[in-house]
Amino acid sequence: MRRFRPILIPLVFIALLYSCKRDTPIVITPVYHGNISFQFAHDVNGQPLIADTMLYTNAAGNNYLVTNVQYFISDVVLHKDDGTLVSFVAPNDVHYLDTDISSTWNWTVPDSIPAGNYTSISFTFGLNEIKNQSNAFLNPPESDMWWPEFLGGGYHYMKLNGKWDSAGSLNPFGFHLGIGQTYAHNVINVDSITGFVQNYFTVTLPASAFTINKSKTTKVEIVMNIESWFETPNVWNFNYWGGSIMQNQTAMHTVAENGADVFTIGYIHY
Amino acid sequence: MNRLKKYKLFFLLLSLLFLPACKKDTPLQEVNIDNTTVYKPTPYKIQAPWYFPTQMNIPADNPLTVEGIALGRMLFYDRRMSGRQAVDSQMCCATCHLQEHAFECGLDGPFVNGQPIGIGGVPTPHVMLPLVNLVWQNNGYLWNGLIRPENPVTSKRRLEDLVWMGVVAPHEMYSDTNKARAAIQNIPGYKPLFVKAFGTGNITFELMAKAIAQFIRSIVSCNSKFDKYLLGETSLTASESNGFVLFVTEQGADCFHCHGGEGNPLFSTYLFYNNGKDTVFNDPRDRYAVTGNPADHGAYKAPSLRNCELTGPYMHDGRYTTLDQVIDFYSEGLVGSPYVSPLMHKINAGGAHLTMQQKADLKAFLLTLTDNDLLTNPAYSSPVTFP
Repeated sequence: MRRFRPILIPLVFIALLYSCKRDTPIVITPVYHGNISFQFAHDVNGQPLIADTMLYTNAAGNNYLVTNVQYFISDVVLHKDDGTLVSFVAPNDVHYLDTDISSTWNWTVPDSIPAGNYTSISFTFGLNEIKNQSNAFLNPPESDMWWPEFLGGGYHYMKLNGKWDSAGSLNPFGFHLGIGQTYAHNVINVDSITGFVQNYFTVTLPASAFTINKSKTTKVEIVMNIESWFETPNVWNFNYWGGSIMQNQTAMHTVAENGADVFTIGYIHY
Repeated sequence: MNRLKKYKLFFLLLSLLFLPACKKDTPLQEVNIDNTTVYKPTPYKIQAPWYFPTQMNIPADNPLTVEGIALGRMLFYDRRMSGRQAVDSQMCCATCHLQEHAFECGLDGPFVNGQPIGIGGVPTPHVMLPLVNLVWQNNGYLWNGLIRPENPVTSKRRLEDLVWMGVVAPHEMYSDTNKARAAIQNIPGYKPLFVKAFGTGNITFELMAKAIAQFIRSIVSCNSKFDKYLLGETSLTASESNGFVLFVTEQGADCFHCHGGEGNPLFSTYLFYNNGKDTVFNDPRDRYAVTGNPADHGAYKAPSLRNCELTGPYMHDGRYTTLDQVIDFYSEGLVGSPYVSPLMHKINAGGAHLTMQQKADLKAFLLTLTDNDLLTNPAYSSPVTFP
């Protein structure tokens, strides 16, 4: 019988449906699941950020204020003590944070997380080259983070906006981190662009061991120390760098290096 | 027979998979009102290119329907809705919101220098904003975002509320909602239109406001030359292209952080910024008046730049009449204060310092945002006949 028998298709389909049924139960350790949620806080050296107020001094001695911070974190990885890695399924693999939008400060991840002990949490600050596609986010507030196609496209990883005081004069700054550009002969003009540079980086949260308990939600607070963007390993002096980094890859790279240690764990509640 | 049974089972399983897809979100009920007029409104879907936002600001209690929009268009253009008897003092929304000016009054419209003055002789506190693409505006209406869902004043939260405000404001129609309602109630031809749109012939001002708000939400601008460029249907001239680069680069004119671009086709974040126009701030209707946050002194909503060729005068107080003046301001005219947004990163240099050629290029780009479809679309024009 070489003739095609359409009857076989539903039979195979039904067979597949039943193929998971086991005749004799195998004894395995049941896998329980819980959940994880993240709360985000923004501090300056251990004190909650007070926006728009000239209160802070960085390592270079610049007095500064912060207006707002907006950023993406993505590809969170939970490192289990047995070596397995747990990540979240799209669209839960990207979270947008905005100090002006309180609903973004709490992120309850819908994914079920296997119960057990975990040794650490890591994530991408910004968006990797696969995720960072223009028009990936059509709606605000995420769409307001768009990064011009001429400058590499995709989205700002971060906008950290504020002002610094230079000899009594207020100067605006914008740490606008995203895809960088290389310019021929250092001519900052889109016609001189010779290539693009990915500036996203991986953050591994120190002291981030935690446990997921069966049917419970583990609440993890992630704290950004804004001052940390201005130090370690590079002391950032606004009077040297100025306030704009978006078309200055050397500046963006310097900021990205400083970003590796801006996040810490605040609390872990069970 | 056996084979047939198996097929039945297969298709039963298959159909189960598709069942959830058939569920309707908000079924519009069909009601037979009086055996002659049937209430069966047709859902209306906003049409826009793929790169527009998918989330729209449409209240659950006032979904867009073909019949509701048609009624709203009628009322928008019907001067009798002001409730006035004297024909020469009758007004409607379209008295000031002119289609050929992206639903602003325009510089050559009914008012000197584009400063609207109500029928009572009182000027509006600010100049107009366009009634275009409001269906994608989520951060509050008016220059300071006063009309917003979280407003403690419950009667000033929705686009629908702006309709009655327009009717009663001394600087607009200076009428009252009872007169407006009575005027429409007394026109017999309106009753069946309300039945078709809302399932009731009991005309209330709330239903009038809902219909007008539906019409306004249906007014969409998404077919400018720049849209055709984004869709690959046309190319920009060298000057327009240079202007586009200036628009979207921080070291250029740096417009895009507040005014959007290819990644934010609304051409505004609709957020509030002090853009460095003044050093003294005493307008009782700035953003500070809404939030109470001292950092918001002198801040106003960034308006959309779509159709900006036609929406002068510019700025909240209409201080500039031409796009050239606006470009000059951002190039050389910025003045510092503690309240200037940090996004104005060239504030201490007084602006972006563009050359004459760069200014011309930037203007050429801005003119690609004019949408002739919006200005002539019969769906947004005055009805030929009224009830």
